[in-house]
Amino acid sequence: MTDPTAAIQALLATDHVSEATRAVLTARLTPAPPYQPRYLTPPAYAQLLAVANRLFPQPERESPIPLAPALDQRLAENCGDGWRYDVLPSDGEALRQGLAGIDECAQAQHQRTFLTLTAAEQDAVLRAVQAGRPAGATWQTLSAARFFEDLLAELTELYYCHPRAQAEIGYVGFADRPDWTKIGLGEREDRESIMDEWMSK
Amino acid sequence: MLSSHNPLLTTAPPAPPASIPLPAPMPPKMKRFGPDEEVDCLVIGTGAGGAPLLARLAQAGLKVLALEAGPWYHPEKDFATDEHAQNFLFWNDERLSAGRDPLAFGKNNSGTGVGGSTLHYTAYTPRAQPDDLRLFADHGQGVDWPLEHADLEPYYDELEHFLGISGPASYPWGPARKRSYPLAPLPLNGAAQLMERACAKLGIRTSPAANAALSARYYQEGVGWRAACTNRGFCQAGCSTGAKASMDVTFIPLAVHHGAEIRPDSFVTEIERDAQGRVTSVVYTQNGEQKRQRCRHLFLCAGAIETPRLLLLNNLALSSGQVGRNLMAHTGLQIWGTFDEEVRPNKGIPGALISEDTHRPKDADFVGGYLLQSIGVMPVTFAGEVVRQRGLWGQALRDYMRDYNHVAGINILGECLPHADNYLELSTENDARGLPKPRTYFTNQANEIRLTAHADKLMRRIWAAVGAHDIWAFPRSAHVIGTARMGRSSQDSVVNADGRAHDVPNLYIADNSTFPSALSVNPALTIMALSLRTADRFLAGQQRRDA
Repeated sequence: MTDPTAAIQALLATDHVSEATRAVLTARLTPAPPYQPRYLTPPAYAQLLAVANRLFPQPERESPIPLAPALDQRLAENCGDGWRYDVLPSDGEALRQGLAGIDECAQAQHQRTFLTLTAAEQDAVLRAVQAGRPAGATWQTLSAARFFEDLLAELTELYYCHPRAQAEIGYVGFADRPDWTKIGLGEREDRESIMDEWMSK
Repeated sequence: MLSSHNPLLTTAPPAPPASIPLPAPMPPKMKRFGPDEEVDCLVIGTGAGGAPLLARLAQAGLKVLALEAGPWYHPEKDFATDEHAQNFLFWNDERLSAGRDPLAFGKNNSGTGVGGSTLHYTAYTPRAQPDDLRLFADHGQGVDWPLEHADLEPYYDELEHFLGISGPASYPWGPARKRSYPLAPLPLNGAAQLMERACAKLGIRTSPAANAALSARYYQEGVGWRAACTNRGFCQAGCSTGAKASMDVTFIPLAVHHGAEIRPDSFVTEIERDAQGRVTSVVYTQNGEQKRQRCRHLFLCAGAIETPRLLLLNNLALSSGQVGRNLMAHTGLQIWGTFDEEVRPNKGIPGALISEDTHRPKDADFVGGYLLQSIGVMPVTFAGEVVRQRGLWGQALRDYMRDYNHVAGINILGECLPHADNYLELSTENDARGLPKPRTYFTNQANEIRLTAHADKLMRRIWAAVGAHDIWAFPRSAHVIGTARMGRSSQDSVVNADGRAHDVPNLYIADNSTFPSALSVNPALTIMALSLRTADRFLAGQQRRDA
């Protein structure tokens, strides 16, 4: 698949995008400098990168959509999303414990750390966590299924809010001007086809 | 296009400007009360509960002031067409969710900013039906309201015409109406067309939904012109044009026009009383500074979590033991399907089509009922539901999401009965302000489970009738209700039918916490109706005292 960045930037430059929307998406499209973790320790951050890489593998992209930095940054700034499962500790504590617990499960399944496993082995560990039955002392007190669900949900928001991921699913709703008049089944505004045309070039 | 206007107006509205200016934030000419000035009425919260009564009390000439925890936004400048960037609209202070069906907050429930959660409500505005208010009388289960449908009906009528509700010329369900909706319905999007087609095959009646987004420009005195909806589909992420009747573009400007003051960024922590137990003032924090505001009457309109939290924190109005109890949440099951045709579900108001044929199903093995709505969806919200419910990740998730433009949903809004296991309490964990975080317990009980199963079966049939494939269900709860309920007796309720606290003569509550039962419709219109009614009952009481 061709990289849609240029096509998105071209669309963002048109009158089809409101100023507020253009500002947000331009910032998100701009490559960020290398990120130094502020909340997690470097080993824990490396573990998060590895987990994110299995939950959202992006082998076709030269520069994958970054997911871990925004999560670490949120925890460093102590921001939340309004709620958490009562069975889990605070978001930051849950992440710290869960990342360590993933290694415990890797050791139990393969006698190696998560980082040294093959992709298929890593996936097997993550499936055990998701199913709520991973090996390891951490999971005696940390709800594996809820931890996994929350982590996956947050990474999913970070992935699909990125215009490159939105291009992948054919979403062009950020081209929010003018009024949408063709909203019925099978109907498209001209600007909804712009991306397709650019992508097929 | 003909311009529409409020038929209540006796004088013709001014000619609409060539282009209608987008809503602006805090008006420069707003009244400001001095720091030591006592106001007649102090209102905490500016959402669907606080804003209507604020306007009504200001119109009556009283000195009124509202404290709002969040900022005053400028929709055109601040609201992007982007879900992630709009997360600031939600009440993001952490709440702890316990029970077998823990409630999601944040983007799911309650907002912050002038306008409260109406900033991100979907603006569905069905009326409650008369039998919604008498579940116990009809079924021997649930709770009756201490007022009748006839008490609400004039307010429904007034609100529909003030807000500029778009809806069908003739609504198929409920009692006959005095007047039709003031504006034609908003257009049906792909999901609505699919549901309409399916229901026609199955003999289920449908109708374009009533929605508080304008299908044509609209004028109100004290507010001015508002522009028609652009079908952008981001109602739940903030309307950037003022077409959606959130409080910041309707009752708030009306209140300010009549001399009310709004203080944004003001988080209330304490409610102070005199020796007789009457409220005298509240303490709040604004921009890091602690302030005090004196008042003769207090109206608590902070929503079904923050209202009981403030009461519990301040040991206020607790004699019935009902504060925090009877927590209810609508069962809001969604059924998604994938279609061969292109739906592009981000366009148009999400819920353009409704059916209330399931209000009291003949084959029900449960009390109460539900309504059906078609649903479109924004991409990030949809992806979040996919991973939480289906557990997809990796390539499987990316593959499924590639069909985003072909998905459409239906959801219900179903009755929930109060139950002793469902309640709110203060936890022992403090937030950044040093206040205890609220903890809610919620578990769907037998009635909710049976109702949801009935709806699950029906909605799958509907989607199968129009060729949906890969049909799946997302169980969810919407709207927190009932944590400071109204009732006739001070033994088992917190406020009376007028919203006045049984324990405290100058304290009123007007928001979703006072609902004795959940209703099988979206709550916003009824919250506003109760708010106006509380204001009118209060004003009538003041007149009696003055006479």
